[in-house]
Amino acid sequence: MNPRKINAVMRKEFIHLIRDPRSLILAFIIPLSLILLFGYALSLDVDNVETVVVDYDHTAMSRDLIEHLDASIYFQIKAYARNANEVGEYLDHGSATLGIIIPPGFARKIKSDKGSPIQVLMDGSDPNFSNMARGYVNAFVAGYNNKLLLSFLNRNGLERINPPVEGRIRVWFNEDLESRKFIIPGLIAVIIMIAGAMLTSLVIAREYENGTMETIKSLPLSALELLVGKSVPYFFIALTNVFISVLLGQLLFGVVMKASFWLMIFGSSLYIFVALALGLLISTVTKSQLMANQGAILLTYLPSLMLSNFVFPITNMPSVLQLFTYIVPATYYIDILSGIYLKDLTFTQLWGDFAVLSLMFIVLAALNMRLLKKEGL
Amino acid sequence: MTPSNNDVIFVKDLEKRFNDFVAVNKITFTVKKGEIFGFLGSNGSGKSTTIRMLCGIITPTSGQGFVAGHNILTQAEEVKHSIGYMSQKFSLYEDLTPFENIRFYLGLYSVPSAQWKERMDWVLDMAQLHEVKDRLTKELPQGWRQRLALGCALLHKPDILFLDEPTSGVDPITRRHFWEFITDIAGQGITVFVTTHYMEEALNCGRIVMINLGNIVAQGSPSEIVSEICPDKPDADLNEAFITLMSRGQQ
Amino acid sequence: MSWMRIRELVRKEFIILFRDEKNRRVLIVAPIVQILLFGYVVNYDIKDIRVAVMDQARTSESRSLIKTIAGNKTFSITSYPEDPSGLEQLLLKGKVDIGIKIAPDMTSRIRKGRTAEIQILADGSMSNMASIRIAYTVMVLDTFNQNMIKEIKGQSLDYGHIDARIRAWYNPNMDSKNFFVPAIVAFVVMLLSLLLTSIAVIREKETGTLEQLIVTPLKPIEMIMGKTIPYIVISLVQMILVTILAKFWFDVPIAGSLPLLFLATCLFLMSTLGVGLFISTVSSTQQQAMMTTFFFILPFFMLSGFVFPIANMPVVVQWFSYLNPLRFFLVILRGIFLKGVGIHVLWPQFLALTILGTVLFAGAISRFQKRLD
Repeated sequence: MNPRKINAVMRKEFIHLIRDPRSLILAFIIPLSLILLFGYALSLDVDNVETVVVDYDHTAMSRDLIEHLDASIYFQIKAYARNANEVGEYLDHGSATLGIIIPPGFARKIKSDKGSPIQVLMDGSDPNFSNMARGYVNAFVAGYNNKLLLSFLNRNGLERINPPVEGRIRVWFNEDLESRKFIIPGLIAVIIMIAGAMLTSLVIAREYENGTMETIKSLPLSALELLVGKSVPYFFIALTNVFISVLLGQLLFGVVMKASFWLMIFGSSLYIFVALALGLLISTVTKSQLMANQGAILLTYLPSLMLSNFVFPITNMPSVLQLFTYIVPATYYIDILSGIYLKDLTFTQLWGDFAVLSLMFIVLAALNMRLLKKEGL
Repeated sequence: MTPSNNDVIFVKDLEKRFNDFVAVNKITFTVKKGEIFGFLGSNGSGKSTTIRMLCGIITPTSGQGFVAGHNILTQAEEVKHSIGYMSQKFSLYEDLTPFENIRFYLGLYSVPSAQWKERMDWVLDMAQLHEVKDRLTKELPQGWRQRLALGCALLHKPDILFLDEPTSGVDPITRRHFWEFITDIAGQGITVFVTTHYMEEALNCGRIVMINLGNIVAQGSPSEIVSEICPDKPDADLNEAFITLMSRGQQ
Repeated sequence: MSWMRIRELVRKEFIILFRDEKNRRVLIVAPIVQILLFGYVVNYDIKDIRVAVMDQARTSESRSLIKTIAGNKTFSITSYPEDPSGLEQLLLKGKVDIGIKIAPDMTSRIRKGRTAEIQILADGSMSNMASIRIAYTVMVLDTFNQNMIKEIKGQSLDYGHIDARIRAWYNPNMDSKNFFVPAIVAFVVMLLSLLLTSIAVIREKETGTLEQLIVTPLKPIEMIMGKTIPYIVISLVQMILVTILAKFWFDVPIAGSLPLLFLATCLFLMSTLGVGLFISTVSSTQQQAMMTTFFFILPFFMLSGFVFPIANMPVVVQWFSYLNPLRFFLVILRGIFLKGVGIHVLWPQFLALTILGTVLFAGAISRFQKRLD
């Protein structure tokens, strides 16, 4: 491996980047906007469910229930409808996402120590929402039932008893249950794929399209030297993006690393190598910028977004797809990063992830070199 | 000076600047119907810029130009009905076959469908591409592509044919056939405007203009120019005249 | 306007697109892969909350609690660690979602009429999932409480209580895929139409054929139609393909009108093609065009209500989403697939799409000039 040759390839790639300032700028702006988007705009948390209530009972008891509903942080009573059809209209138009219908005879049944149903209609379209809403409704009802139970006991002269058990909740790793804390690590993984793989995926394909690959093949340049030289500028772009993301995560969103900074650098660099190797491989295989771009979106961006346990829980996926997640590099990197951000882990606890990433890098790079050599490099 | 009826191309004080760089510096010339008119100059002299202005590909900065009776500044689109153009790179669709390329241009020039078969055969004939009409254009050798590009520029029977360095990278035999063909069609009344930096080719032209650094340095028939520039050298050729002119420019 | 010219332009575009085998594959395979991916991956259904229980009491009461937990189908008790550090490890490694610690004095406290504390340790990594899991756990504890109270009192306690009958209006089984799969249709249509149009003109520039087109009597409007019609057709075909997959592979119901869906897609395409054309007029290389397209796709995608609800976004961002055609298209898609509503409910979205599409497309056209300088 001749450093001077690598230098020459590297310099040409730098010049190319600088002469196309827009692509360069976008390489930084796209990640930046992702962070701002996710940090400020995107959240899966559900609260203040817009509820519309129908009270067919009109008793003090039904009003008490409604008051409790209103007081709860989970629900926000938007309107009082007259019948179930109106509820349907609210849901149709999307002005409310939950409808609660208190039937006639509600208070009577409760007073005679029987159970009274209440109808709850949820907008089932968005499962994230409806699952949470259902959980909230159930939790609310359980709490209200407890209150009913205690007043029953008191009324009947039974001893006021304490609930046998009570849950004391402690949330680990993300005490405030803020989406941001788990989003930042995943985001960095996606950002690196964009800066590291999507950009590099065009690099070799471009040479094929321009016809300059022929020239390169005739030079005394080895595949390894070519790949290394081409990667260097993009490595720095990706690493800079990591720094920016970490900094922004900290400054804007108060997301701080719990574990070692150097561990993060080490892990990130390794992951960047994998991203670069993947991008360059896609480039060599497709030989066309358009195809490379499509391939990059399909094979780097989408998997790192969707199959890496970033936004969508792996445990929910069918087993076949769960197997797939094992070959997505982002899965391991996100594991490392969330370990560093949320759990204060050390290298020894994460060595498995590091090992897999290293293996991936070696395999991808070796494949690429094989392919290039076969073409006469 | 105004264009007369026989001037198919009339250019006066035509100028093109790109920011501070003057590519074409207020040139004036005319071309008559049926002429083979040559525009000679080295690379970067302003030939391509001129031809592209005449074809309506770029807009002149100032000056006047009339092609086929239309003003290139205000009526560029009308001009395009009467001209054919062949670029330096013979811009053809590489992933299309010659047949598909020809059909495409037939449609693009709105040639009436009744004439398509006849025009298609004509192009395939003059370009000798009958056997390969269904092969991909990118697989054809350079000389064949040149012929195809030429055919596509002529299939709508334009009045004027603009050729920008039409024989670059083409072997001498193909080049000779090419010029025979050009002379032929000029004889049928089509005006041919050619740019080139090969001096020997200029001899095929009836009149030529030599351009250097955006300025016209000589005009006239090849023999007129040689005798004017190098009067003391009876064996001088265009090459020498050109070099003499260039070195004059240097002083 | 010459239809012959447009026809030949369209024909040329199709030939070139489909002649390349790799191209063909991508055009068909990409949407299929995307829909399969999204359809199976994107899933927020609650099932199998993995629980680890550390029972330090080991009495009949604690076993009864464990039985109550195990009896709930949503929970799946995967391990019984012996000590606190064992539980910690399970949480650290992400092997369980909830850890439950039962203190040794549970039974004695209950017998004395006091409350026993059960520690619920939740993995907060994915906070939205964590919230739900915590809510479910609390609910199970409440169930246990009620049973226990009845036992202690030794009598069956009938008391007035609420029975919540929860029904999902649309998407009764609350299947994740019914929400996300229709959105994939939008995503697929948007991605390729944007990408392909944005580089369509640039490729001609790079190969030099654009110059050749400029020299002909081709009008800008004809050029635009020649470049967009192929991609409209391809996008519509992809949409149909994806919709068929959605219905027959994923069993996503289509409660509403298909022709309306078609119309909405065409309107949506006006926007994406307009943006794609615009990008192609401001980019000089394919690389620039692709990066710029991606730059546009990201916020379009993220801020459209696809995964992340618009209602959760800051007000300023919500206003911006009104400029996002995907946002309206998604409402229409979900309306037609899930809710079965028609134009009388969806007309605001249709109007918005029409306005956005016209503005974007017209804007792109105005930038099209037959000059290379």
